[in-house]
Amino acid sequence: MRILVAEDDTTLSQQIKTALTDEGRAVDTATDGEEALFLGSTEPYDLVILDIGLPERDGISILKEWRKTDVHTPVLILTARDGWSERVDGLDAGADDYMTKPFHMPELSARIRAMLRRQSGQANPVFQRGPVVFDSRNNKVLNNGMPVSLTAQELTVLSYLFHNAGRMITRTELSDHIYEYDGDRDSNTIAVFVNRLRKKLGKDLISSARGQGYQIDLD
Amino acid sequence: MRSLQRRVVVGGVVWAVIATLIGGFAVTSVFDQIADRRFNTSLSEQHTQVIVALGDTQSPDLVEAVLSEPGYQRVYSGLYWQLDGDDGELYTSPSLFDAELISGRAAGQGAEFWEGLGPNGAVRGVQERVVLEDGSVWTVSVAASLNALAGERSEMQRSVALVFGFVGLLGIAGAALLTTVLVRPLRKLRNDVRHRWDTGNALVTDDYPAEVAPLVADINELISRNRDILDRGRRQAADLAHALKTPSAAMRNELVSMSRKVNGTTPLFEALDRIDSQIARSLARMRAATAENAVHVSTDVEQSVERIARLFRSLPESEGVELEVSSQEACVGVDAQDLEEMLGNLLENAFKWCRNSVGLAVETGDGLVDIVIEDDGPGIADDLRQTVLQEGTRLDTSVPGTGLGLSIVNDLANAYGGSLDLGRSDRLGGLRCSVTLPVVGCEKRTATAARA
Repeated sequence: MRILVAEDDTTLSQQIKTALTDEGRAVDTATDGEEALFLGSTEPYDLVILDIGLPERDGISILKEWRKTDVHTPVLILTARDGWSERVDGLDAGADDYMTKPFHMPELSARIRAMLRRQSGQANPVFQRGPVVFDSRNNKVLNNGMPVSLTAQELTVLSYLFHNAGRMITRTELSDHIYEYDGDRDSNTIAVFVNRLRKKLGKDLISSARGQGYQIDLD
Repeated sequence: MRSLQRRVVVGGVVWAVIATLIGGFAVTSVFDQIADRRFNTSLSEQHTQVIVALGDTQSPDLVEAVLSEPGYQRVYSGLYWQLDGDDGELYTSPSLFDAELISGRAAGQGAEFWEGLGPNGAVRGVQERVVLEDGSVWTVSVAASLNALAGERSEMQRSVALVFGFVGLLGIAGAALLTTVLVRPLRKLRNDVRHRWDTGNALVTDDYPAEVAPLVADINELISRNRDILDRGRRQAADLAHALKTPSAAMRNELVSMSRKVNGTTPLFEALDRIDSQIARSLARMRAATAENAVHVSTDVEQSVERIARLFRSLPESEGVELEVSSQEACVGVDAQDLEEMLGNLLENAFKWCRNSVGLAVETGDGLVDIVIEDDGPGIADDLRQTVLQEGTRLDTSVPGTGLGLSIVNDLANAYGGSLDLGRSDRLGGLRCSVTLPVVGCEKRTATAARA
């Protein structure tokens, strides 16, 4: 899952990026409003964390611009402005959730997971396909009840396929959602990650159609 | 008396009365003199006719037959003549019947006017000594009753009073009309100022008379400064919040990472909690201080209630809680953001403590709006209700919070001349918070307009 963090404080931005990357997310950062608007409009993010008080352009106007141009990426506003009016204004502008600073990183992670699940229409944070269980709350993977260790990239691929279960995902789409903006996007490596996942979790977990992509179907 | 229009009308009435009295007196005096002169002239002419009659006839007993004036024939008609011979002989007009004219003075040379008593009260007469050809000397007197003159005078005074009264009324009406015309720019100014608060557009000084234009320019300046103070206050609070809370969040995250590697970070967390708490407290104080500078604000309560209720119904923590809203149309003299801050804090508190039911009701009466938020939670004991209004007070530290919510609401309500009262909800059994705020007209900014 690929996330954009639009936050002008680079320390906080890096902390969020590190925390989310550790959870297997691909994270891009933007430090001003114009950059955030550009990235959010052109890249297929699964979620955006948006600060309201960005330099160059404020978060609310960016959000309104996205919604006006049919960019429906879920947006979590993360701001120091904790007034109730501002919360209503943020949600009215098209935000999906609103968090105020200072915040606890685990709460931010939990909100992000909940938003991603809502976006994919999955109410249950625990996904299951046969003997394989994926708990999105802690990124734990079990196969026949035994924990399985996955690399960050493998986890990212698995998470995206589970969150979009029942739909054929092309390599290009998968690549768009697991690599960062300046990441090395070799689509062949996608096939490598899928093969590794099949080895670790069983070949029946991920079905594929030649030239079309990959798919996981839930039980 | 503060009303300019009333001042002018009352002043106009007083002035009209004085002017009417003085004018009436002057005109009546002139008219009196004219009437008096005319009376005397008429009397002199009558007197001359009697002398001529006496001269022509040379016989006093024939005078009555020569004079044809009907007034001399009718008894006590008010017009009389009398001839007094030096030898005591007396001839009178039939109108005198059995009476005599008593001048009370001796006749001298030439015609002399006198006033005395006639048969029916006071008369004015003229008398002159005349010597006939036979050498006899006669005092010829003609008199007329002063009643007629008095009647004429009264009639004239009534006419003058009527005319002057009418003129006075016209003057008062004119003064009222003039005041309306003069006060119209001030009325327009009042409406324009109200509109100015709504829209932020400056007043156009050229739209006003030269005498009012400088005042309009000053009002523009004052309103602009008040807006600046409010906006600056809010902007400073927002900037300060961003400048302090963002690094605080970064420090907290760093501390969390550190605590995974080393022990003894608890005091650092506690210190950071105190800093965050102090920041929240200071920002709340800034908000209340800014609110005290708010002038001429009005917010649609129903609209703000709808916005905040919509927000709370969409929050994950509202799952399983029924929020019952009963609002009505009313506007309060509170800035929209501050009203929503009060509603949000009270609802947050209610949602935090309720079991599954929260009520929000708006009631109006006696120039006040009462916003009641109640829940079915444990409530607050009577002796602790005042304590929780002090900032930073948390009755249960196991529940997350800053302990500022009710204190912020209390400060804001007080800043706008309102109040916050806590009690037990009869309906739901938990805490009942009642915020009372002053009602204002709804022609001003609404919550949405305020943010536009």
